[in-house]
This record gives sequence, structure tokens and C-alpha cells, in this order.
Amino acid sequence: MISYILTWIVTRFVWLLPLPLPPRLVKIGNPGRSSPVLVTCNWRLTVRELSYRLRREDLYLLVANSRGINVWCAAAGGHFTHHDVISIIKTSGIENLVDHRTLVLPQLAATGIDPVYIKKKIGWKAVWGPVSARDIPGFLAAGKEATDRMRRVEFGLGRRMSVALGWAAQLSIPASLVFVFVNREAILPLNVLIFGMSCALFMAFPLYERFLGRPSRGWGTIAFGFEQGGVQLVLWGLYTAGVVIPAGIIGGETVLFFFHWILAGLVVTLFLTFDLAGSTPVYKSVEHEERSFTVVLNVEICRGTGICTEVCPRGCFDLDRVRRKIVFARPDDCEQCAACIVQCPFDALSFISDRGERILPETTRTYKLNLMGKRQVRAS
Amino acid sequence: MSTYVLMKILESSPDRYDRGIRFLTLGQLDEAYDRLTSHIRPGDRVLDIGCGTGALTLRALARGGVVTAMDINPAMMDVAKKKVGAYRAEIGEAAGDMVFLEMGVAEMDDLETGGYNVVMSGLCFSELTDDETAYALGHVHRILKNRGMLLIGDEVPPGGIFRRFFYMLVRIPLAALTYLVTQTTTGAIKNLESRVASANLEIESVRRHGIGGFMELIARKRD
Repeated sequence: MISYILTWIVTRFVWLLPLPLPPRLVKIGNPGRSSPVLVTCNWRLTVRELSYRLRREDLYLLVANSRGINVWCAAAGGHFTHHDVISIIKTSGIENLVDHRTLVLPQLAATGIDPVYIKKKIGWKAVWGPVSARDIPGFLAAGKEATDRMRRVEFGLGRRMSVALGWAAQLSIPASLVFVFVNREAILPLNVLIFGMSCALFMAFPLYERFLGRPSRGWGTIAFGFEQGGVQLVLWGLYTAGVVIPAGIIGGETVLFFFHWILAGLVVTLFLTFDLAGSTPVYKSVEHEERSFTVVLNVEICRGTGICTEVCPRGCFDLDRVRRKIVFARPDDCEQCAACIVQCPFDALSFISDRGERILPETTRTYKLNLMGKRQVRAS
Repeated sequence: MSTYVLMKILESSPDRYDRGIRFLTLGQLDEAYDRLTSHIRPGDRVLDIGCGTGALTLRALARGGVVTAMDINPAMMDVAKKKVGAYRAEIGEAAGDMVFLEMGVAEMDDLETGGYNVVMSGLCFSELTDDETAYALGHVHRILKNRGMLLIGDEVPPGGIFRRFFYMLVRIPLAALTYLVTQTTTGAIKNLESRVASANLEIESVRRHGIGGFMELIARKRD
């Protein structure tokens, strides 16, 4: 618990850097020869959280080498693949400790890990565990069955605040360093502004979500290239009112003071919102227009295995059991994470570019996202 | 620092890897790889562990080796495949036979026992965990012919306090810069010699570079 909290605090400040633990086999509780075997990444915070959440379970946890990056980012970036899973199985000695050959993989790794390859190569069968660590005990208790809710990426208030602090910290550190030389007295209020604004932005997310999938009406574009409405302008306006009104009542402030702090508010708001798109499970990035692909389903090829319904973290697909076909019911919710494309055994799903070119599933499996969330493949 | 600004400056991709590594090793790497691969004779069966973008693979081909190259990163291997294709076009198909395998060291069970004259690896062992290294070296011993060679070029921690301090002084800013521009970095592997020796491979020569952050190691299998 303590190490989980400490790690959480540290990761707020090294938000964008890998923070690895050595890949290894971790025994949780008193596992026996039939206990479950779970696989996870080696990002420090994930391992600490799992140890805490699973403290009442008896199981083996294989911490695979994801280069110190969290499951979803590592899998999407090609840093956490079936090769890493095989490696930890073969080198950790787990095969001598259990009699079964079933793995539980984190669902969000579905965009990078091929369970068919693992089965073929070393005979281990993989099942997709839930998205969130807190659901694992329930998933295991239900005989490794996940509910629909467990299959979704939620971006609830707690998680949003957690991200908001990390988001603010990446601006807070350089800004504070600059102000050591410029104006030391301003460091504290500046940080209050940065953290406050970041929390306000993330709190307001449910307001944005309504605008998702709608074409830009120009307002958003005017609001500094932010596609989904000028909410940050509204927040900046509120902040400005919050500075002007109390200071006006108390009095004694110069025009320059107002100018400085209102400008600082604008700069901070801009910095915080500029690159929010594509950085969360809510927004699509508008950065990589030439590589912003759309998932398409070829119903002819589809055989209704339902694997995509299991791995999609946004619940975009429905299974029509009568016709034995998939229905791509909620394409607006799609994040282009490519889990469905990577996992479909019949290649019934693929990306198409905005010019209508189809990207072969094999290419999507090979070329992952780079550090900036950009697919390293153009439609050729 | 806004990630948006970073995003505009940086775009990592496998074809940047070569430039990154060249910069990071201050150009020493090419010479080291040339020296290591000079031991390959025409017709040798060669395994390249962690071929990446094919720096060693191409050299082994040029020496007339019959190369099997393995790596876990298919995007990097695509760069290697393109290079090999271009090389073959250039010399008119006379290059040795060539197989690419997408796999990690934990999947070396399938490789033929005693099937290789040379196993080589550049900047790969430093990316492996201790368990993976031991596992890989065990298989290297198995698949090498008697008197077969292991060639490793990799980053090692320099010996001695002063050297280490000086090395850090140069290394840290260089690594930070390289990571920023190419998202490429390397780590150092500790006790490389003793690990190789404990896999029953006899060390023939070890060459350390400049301030000692890079090692060229040649070992042989003797039964």
C-alpha cells in the first residue's frame, strides 16, 4: 500500500518517462500448481497497483519486459509483444511451478500481443483479463469471465484527476525552474494556476464528450486548433473573472499585475490544452491527419467469432448471434487502437485512410505507434 | 514542456535508429563491427541475434556468410530487409543465402544443434534481462559447431572510478540528446565476460574502447 502510494506520487512527476522494474516472476499469496498465471508490464506503478489490488489472491504474476511502459502504450508502440510474453514464460521457470498452461493477459495489450503465436510456439493458451486491475479479483472469481463493463476503458473522475496532476506536473517543473530566475514570488501562485487549471480541464471532460464525432463548427478551430469547442476559453474566462473580481474588491493592484496574471492564465491554458487531443481515452488526436485511419469491417469475411467484441476497449462492436456476424455498431466511439484488427483471425477488419486506401492488417500488426502516438505507416 | 511542441520536433521511426546509434557511439561502432565480422569466412553459417536494422547482417553477407538474422521487432527488420535487397541488387545476387526470423532469444529452441560456425550480436545483449542472457548463451553453446565463434559488440560499464566518472560525464548528455531526437538508447551489460565464460564458451579476446564503454568480445566453443 505504502509503496503503491509512493510510486503513484513519483509517477505524477515522471509522467512521460519509462519507469521500469526488473522483469520477473512475482508470487502473490500462496500460489499452488493450479493457481492462475497473470501477465503484466514492468511499469513500476502497474506492478505496485497489482500487488495491492491482488493482495487477497493466490496467484503467479509474470512481470514481462515492456521497457518500463504501461500496458496500453507499450502494446500500441510495439514494446510489449508476444515475444516478451514468451520470454518471461521461458526464463522465469513458471513452467515448472504450475500444471496448467493458461495465461491471463491484460486486455489492453491486445493491440500488440498475438495469443495465436504464443499457443503455436510454446503451447500456452491465453485469455484476455479485464482492462482494470481492480476488476481482476471479480474476473477470477467468475471463472475468468469478464463482464462487458470490465472490457471498457473508463475515464472516471478518479483517473482523470490522477492524469490531471501528471499533466500539470510536466508544465509545472520547467515553468518553476524558469521563474526561479525571473520572479520567485510568483512560483507558488503560478503552480496553483497550473494545477488548478489542469484539474478544471479534466473535470470538464464530460462536457467535451458530447462534441465528440461532430464536425468542427469553426469555433473550436478558432479556439487554438482545439476541435471540440472552446471549453478552455470558457475556463480561461472563469479564471480571469476569478482574478479580476477579488482583486478589484480588495484593490491596490496595478494594471500590470492584471495583465501579467491574465496572460499567464492564457499561456497555461494553451499549454495544457494544446496536446490533450490523442492523449486520453476521450479525444481523438487531430495531429496526424494524413495517418488518421478509420476501422472498416468486411462483413463478407467476418465469421462472427466475437473476438473483437472481447478486445475492443470502447465497446464498439455487437455480435449478431443469429447471423453469426459482427455489427460495427458504434464507430464514433472508436479510438483506432487497432486491437480488433490485430486480433481478427480472418483479417475481416482493417484501417482505411481518409483517401480510401486500405491498410493491410499485416502492416498494422508490424508498424506500431511512435512515441507521439503516430502510426509509423502511411497509406501507400 | 508541452508534448505538442515535442511532437513537432520529434518523430521516431526505425530508419532513424542507425543515425541515433552512430551518434551515440561517436562513430566507433562501424569500425568495431568491421573488426568483429572480419573473422567470418566464406560459406560460414552465421546467426545474428537481435539484427535490428542489419548492421552486422550486411557485413556478414559481404564476407560470404550464410546468414540467419533474428529480431523481435518486425519494423526494424523491415529496414534490414530493404538494405539486404539493395545490397543484392548492387552486387548482382551473388550474396550468400539469407533468412530473417521474427523471434526473441527465448524462442531459440528451434535452431539446429551444432548448425552454426558463427553467432554474432551487436547491442542486443545489453537489452536483455539476466535470465534472458543466460538462456540465450546456453542456446548459443548448443547451436555452435565445435570451434565455432561467438562475436559480441556491446556496451559495458567502464572499469575504474575515474573512467566511470568521465564516461558518465560524456555519456549522460549524449544519451539524453540521442533519446530526444531518435528515441533510441542503449544500456550497458555488466559482467559480460564472466557470463560468456559460465556458458562454457572460452574467451579468446576482449577489446575495450577509448574510455571503456564499449566491448568487442570474441569467444569460442571448445568441447
